Formats: sequence, structure tokens, C-alpha cells
Amino acid sequence: MLKELWKDFRSTRVGGSIFRVGLPESNLERAQAAISSFLLHLQPAKVHRRVLKFRTTLGLGLISLYLFLILVGTGVLLMFYYVPATDYAYQNMKDLEFVVTAGQVLRNMHRWAAHLMVLFVVLHMCRAFYTAAYKPPREFNWVVGVTLFLLTLGLSFTGYLLPWDQLAFWAITVGTSIAGYAPLIGQKLKFLFLGGHVVGESALIRFYVLHVIVLPVAALMLIALHLWRVRKDGGLARPDEPQPTREEMTTAQLPVTKTYGLMELARGTTPAVGIRPEDEVFAWPDLIFREILLLMATLAVVLILAIFWNAPLEQIANPVHPPNPAKAPWYFLGLQELVAYSAFWGGVVVPALLVTALVALPYLDRKRRGVGVWFSRERRVAITLFSICLAAAVILTVIGTAFRGPNWAFQVPWHPLHAVEER
Amino acid sequence: MTNNSLRKFYPWFALLGLLVGGLIVVAFYKDQFREWKDWQRAYIKQEISRAPTPEQRANPARIPVEIRQIVVTDLDRVDRCTSCHLTVDDPSYAGLHLPLAYHPNHDRHPFDKFGCTICHQGQGRATTREAAHGRVEHWDRPMLEMKYIQSACGKCHLPTDLPDAPKLVQGHDLFEKAGCIGCHKLHGIGGVIGPELDGVGANRTPEWLLTHFKNPSAVTPGSAMPPIKASDEELDALTLYVLSFTGEDLSAYYVSMKTIPGPMAGRRLFEEKGCLGCHSIGGIGGKVGPALDEVAKRHDPQWLMGHFKNPRAMSPGTVMPQFNFTEQETRALTEFLLSLVDTNLVGFLKISSSLSPIDRGKAVYKKFGCAGCHGVDGQGGVPNPNSKTAQQVPGLKFVAEGYTRDELKKRVLDGQKEIPLLDPKKPAPPLYMPGWRGKVAEGELNDLTDYLMSLLPKGEKADF
Repeated sequence: MLKELWKDFRSTRVGGSIFRVGLPESNLERAQAAISSFLLHLQPAKVHRRVLKFRTTLGLGLISLYLFLILVGTGVLLMFYYVPATDYAYQNMKDLEFVVTAGQVLRNMHRWAAHLMVLFVVLHMCRAFYTAAYKPPREFNWVVGVTLFLLTLGLSFTGYLLPWDQLAFWAITVGTSIAGYAPLIGQKLKFLFLGGHVVGESALIRFYVLHVIVLPVAALMLIALHLWRVRKDGGLARPDEPQPTREEMTTAQLPVTKTYGLMELARGTTPAVGIRPEDEVFAWPDLIFREILLLMATLAVVLILAIFWNAPLEQIANPVHPPNPAKAPWYFLGLQELVAYSAFWGGVVVPALLVTALVALPYLDRKRRGVGVWFSRERRVAITLFSICLAAAVILTVIGTAFRGPNWAFQVPWHPLHAVEER
Repeated sequence: MTNNSLRKFYPWFALLGLLVGGLIVVAFYKDQFREWKDWQRAYIKQEISRAPTPEQRANPARIPVEIRQIVVTDLDRVDRCTSCHLTVDDPSYAGLHLPLAYHPNHDRHPFDKFGCTICHQGQGRATTREAAHGRVEHWDRPMLEMKYIQSACGKCHLPTDLPDAPKLVQGHDLFEKAGCIGCHKLHGIGGVIGPELDGVGANRTPEWLLTHFKNPSAVTPGSAMPPIKASDEELDALTLYVLSFTGEDLSAYYVSMKTIPGPMAGRRLFEEKGCLGCHSIGGIGGKVGPALDEVAKRHDPQWLMGHFKNPRAMSPGTVMPQFNFTEQETRALTEFLLSLVDTNLVGFLKISSSLSPIDRGKAVYKKFGCAGCHGVDGQGGVPNPNSKTAQQVPGLKFVAEGYTRDELKKRVLDGQKEIPLLDPKKPAPPLYMPGWRGKVAEGELNDLTDYLMSLLPKGEKADF
């Protein structure tokens, strides 16, 4: 019945003008559906069968994208209420909680989706590493991905300040002072971010502008580039298949039962290379359907979190009364833990090395081995090194989050220490 | 063909679709269910049941269920208390059960100008009972207990201007008598041994303050402060008074209450303008004009106001000059004269030049909070562990025997940082004598010396 309704709508002048192609019935129409729809054409009309397998990517990149979209949606709605001024920001949070229709749930969704996005971007990066998806020809897309990871951290960090409560104020104070440890430019950089030497009105407006315009637009453009490059670099990484040599690639030797478009004869790092026709499926409906399922699952998880757990909101920011300990946002607590040992090593050397290593990785580790295979035995060394770094980061973050009490003293989370009151 | 391969996902699709849809419904329901709506419906029901005729019942039925709030821009407050307490301005609800109750005596503090939380504290923007009353995590200022409510008066009024807040006045009196500012600064005036007190009312709970007065080291380990010896009732009053030191930055309209017409402001003017040059109060002052002790019994306030504005219009031929007081000053002075009629005049004027030097010295002793350590009237007895002088701050009754006037002055000006130890192995005593150089005026010091010298009891000898 729905199908009938849809057909009726499509046959009207308006319906027909919006949707050029109806529900696809044939393969031709399936291809047309993907190509002629703005949203669907972001992915190819036909994809490799592997793409449909959940274990190929675990859907991590797509979940990150969905979280980004949820964040944009809820974020824009929140912008209708938020005023980036120290006099109003905190009161705004209270109004969202107490009088704005769906205000609290929107804020909760935004908050939890932001945390989840940091988590899923990291997981997505791990997936790309463990399946060797950064190897040629995907080196540059890996670099784009690293940039997106940094942008995600930046988005989360700038958003962290906006509620203007104690948690926000001191997390940003701690976070920006970590940046201040960089030699020569550190203090200048900190001043640039804060618009002063301490977190205040000018820091709030800077973080706000970065959070709602600069970083999201940058992220959106890079996401577009990222997706575009996935297609242009030959789709998702997959193991090499026996490729026809150049000489063999003549139409005479190709199966005559299939009609080839120009794209399918292309060479090099183009989408069709290495895909045998029988390995292809149409994106509509197999892939689209799975993608919609994943979207619903993501949305459901974010909604559940948002309904049952409120986003934190502490007392209004008080520049003269720091909490003990004052902690950066959780994804920087590994760094803060290192800074507790050595400001120079933790605040400068380690993060600089990490970013450099991530960017340089695909240019150093170039051999096409184990591409598209999880934990390939051929890449034992690389996988071990990466895993050690990852484990170290996780452990440091967990220690910084749960095992550090007042004065950064060691504590066990089930037996937290209490700060001795001064004053 | 391909559709068949999707068939296994259909249950998932249905399930997830229902889940997402259901969650959106739950979120919406949770958002729409707010406890203040129940209170408002209960109120409307009450109004309907009170309506005498069926026609009149239609009116309350039209009352909208919506957020009510008082926006007080000047105080930077949005108070939504009236969303549940809907009848604060309806006397017919007097004595009814909360939240529907009537707030008496609000004629001088209209709700639209003051809101609720400026006095009662709590979280004005909140619309749930627990959060609004401020009894939730991350809200530092829960509603003030009613027994401390008079502390709120002290935010805008001087305690001495407030006959209606006897608790605040009592607390203020004890604050002065106990000499708190000998060690603590308040509004920039006072000693340096203890922490400043501005804002302490906002940072401390009543329980903390009360415990602190009774036994300071119980809440502040190692505190040098001696316990304050007073009755529980007085300590409650002191707690209430200290709670009024909220350090809030209130806009001019509200704090101007401290300067406009009140007997206290009048009294200050009376001293400044030198009225005692001609007039007397309590037998002190000039004899050129009439004594003013009972002037308010002879004349009504209008007459007094008129007299301040233009003396000759009221008393033809008087020699009193016209001072060109402002309207506010005129009213303050009148209030002052009115207050004299039923005021005990002993020790009335704070430090007036017309007092005897010893009485002035006594006032200086009080002004600088010397009693905080040396006891009321120099009686001593304040503990100072491990000091050589019997582990106490020495009393001052016998200074006349141990010091010349100049030595005593020098002692007051220089202070004594190093207090001799009783047991050299134990930590130094917490209290010491601060130097008052630059703080006490020369005249004040002379008067203080006179007062201290006068403390020596006649016929008694020091027992050291």
C-alpha cells in the first residue's frame, strides 16, 4: 500500500520534479537511483560485495559520520538558545534544563554524541590501521583522516567550555596550559586561543566561533574529501586479487556477456580496478538498507544515553576556586597524566611525536601487505608497535580519569580520596 | 533478487524503527511531564472548588498552565518560584498548606522588584522542587532556613537601621562586642590575623559557622581563633549576621537602602554636621540650642522635616542656620530624632568628640576589635596555647602599672609578632599582637591610652 502511495505521489507534477527516479525495479534503475539522488550519489552505484560484510569495517567510520550529523542537528537547535557571554552561558544551561521544550534532552544528545564521536573516530582509525587501509593508494586519505581526528578533538574541546560551569572552566584552563608548554610558541598559542592569559569572556567567544563555524565547516569539507577519496582510491581497502596485466586488458579478453561502461575499463587506482563484475552489488538497496539500519542503531544508542543520563553541569565557573584536582576533558587525561611527570615530555614531545608519526605512517610503511585483512601476520611488527602505543594511551587515559585524586595523588576509583579544604 | 538477501534484516529494521520511535516518544513524554504542572492543576482545582457559583467556576478553569516567573533585571535573577507558589500575593490563602500559601508583609518589598531568591536563596530558575530549593548537587546556596531569614535583610540594610530584624541587630551587637574585626577584615576594615569576612556568608553553611563560633578548631584545624563565649541564642544571631556577608554586588537601587532615610544614616549626618556644637543629647553637647532628647515628643515629623529644610519657617527668629540638606538627608535626620525618643542613650554616639577621653578610648577599643583577643573591657582570658603569659592573651587591666603612656602607645603601634613561648619545643602560640601603625589615628591612640590607663582597679594590685 505504501508502494502505491509512493507511486501516486511520484506521478504528480511535484513528486516527479523532486524524485527523478522511482523505486528501482531493475538494475538500470538501481544505478540511476544512486547516481541521480544527491545523497545516494555520495557512494558509488555499485560496490564490492565485501562492503556489505559488517566485519569489513564494523561500520565505525559511518557511525562517526552519523554522530557528526546528530551533533550538527542538535547543535544548531541549541544555538537558538545559547548566548556566548559569561553572564548568560550558565543561566542558559539552567533554562535548557528547566523550561526549554526538549532542551535537556537535546543538550544530553549533543554531549553524549560528542564523547561517542571522539571514541568512534579513534576506533575507526584503529580499524583503518589494523586492516592496513592506509597503504597506497590510500596514504593521503589516511592523512585526511588524521586531520579529521584532530578536528574532532578540537570540536569537542571547544564545545567543552561553552556551558561555563566549573567543569568547563577548569578543564579548558588545564587543557590550554598543556598547550602552553610548547617551546617558543606555546605561550603565544595559548594567548591566541584564549584571547588573554586566562579563560574569560574573550576565550568563550573564541571557542564559540571555533565550535559553531570554523571547525564544523572544516570538518564537513574534510569529511566530503574523505568520502570522495574513499571512492577515488578504489573503494574500501581489500586484499589484492589477481589483476589482469596491462596487455591482457583488451576488450577481447573480457567476458562478452557484460556491457562495460568507460569507468570499468579504467586502470590504476580507480574505483573499478580489481573488481570483477560478479563481485559487484548495487548500492541500492543492499548497502543503503544496511546504512539506514546502522543510522537507526546509532540514533537509538544516543537517545537512550540522552534520556537516562543527564549531561554534567556543575557550579557556575569560579576563577578563584579551582576544583582539586582540576582535570582536562577525558581524551586529554592521558596527556595530563604525562604532564604530571614532565610538562615538556607530556605536553610537547609526546603529542608532537604522535601526530607526526600518524601523519608519516603511510609514507613510511608502504608495502602493500595485508591490505584489507584484519591483523595480518605479514605486518606483525607494525601491529605490535601500534598496539603498544594504543595500549599506553588507553592506560594513561584510564589512570588520569579514574586513578587520580586531589593533588593528582594516586587513588583507586572505588575508594576516592577527598581534597583537604584550604581557606 | 537482491531484495531476498535483505529479508533477514527486516526484523531488525522493524525493531530498530520501533525503538527509535519509542525513544523519541519517551523523550517527549519525559520532557512534557513536569511537576510544576501538577501543582498548577491542583491550584486551578482549588480555585474552582472555591468559586461560589457555577458561572464563576468558568474563570479559574481558564487559568493557563504555564511557567510563571519574576524577572528582576537589576538583580540578575529569574525566579520561577511562583510557578508552584501561585498564591503568594493572595491573602485568602493565608495559612494554607504549601506550596499554595500567602506571603505576608511584602508591601515594602514588592515581588516584581525583588523576586524571591534575593532573600530566600535557592535556585530561582529551577522548576523542580528539589532543584529550586537548591538541595541538589552542584548548587551551593540552598534555601535559607527560616530561622536565619533575617540575615537577608542585612544584604541591603544596615543592622542598626532595622528595628524589624532583632536577630540581625543582636548578631551585629555581638559581632562588635566580641571584637571580631580585631582579627578579621570586613568591608576593608579590620585586622589581618584571620581571613577576610566579605563573602563568607555565601561560602559557608549556617552549621559550619555555628560550629566555628563554638569551637573554631573543630572545623578549621589549627585555627588561632578563640571560641566565642556567648549563649546559644546569641551565637545563632551571630551566625545569622555573618550569613549576611554574602559579598553580592547588588545594584544601586538596592544598596542605597543603606544610605537613605534611616536613623543610622541620620546619626552619621548628625555627627558629621556638628549638630552637637549647639544641641545636646543625653546631656552631652552644646547649650545654644535646645536639647534634642525628646524633641520628637514636642513636634511631629512634618514639623521636624520643615525645620531641617528652613528653620526660620518653623521657628521664626531662630539662630539655627539653614543647612541645605537634601530631601534624603532631611528624612534621615528626622528618623534619627524620632528614634531618640525610645532609645537608651548610654553609649549612643559611636565616637563623639564631646565624650570624655576615656569613653572615647573605650569606643576606640571597640572599633578596632581589641576585645577579640583581650576580652571585653580588657578582662583577658582568651586562650593562646603555649604563650608564656599563662597560655592566654594577657588582660589589660593592669597595663597602667607596667607601662608608661608612651611605652603603651609604642606597643600598640608596633605590635608584637614574636610571643614568648612557654615551652620552646612546642609550636608558637597562634595569636599575636598586630601593629596598628597607620590604622589608628593619633587622637584615637591618645584616647585609647587614656582608656587603658583607666582600667586599673582602685585598691587592687596585680598578682604578678
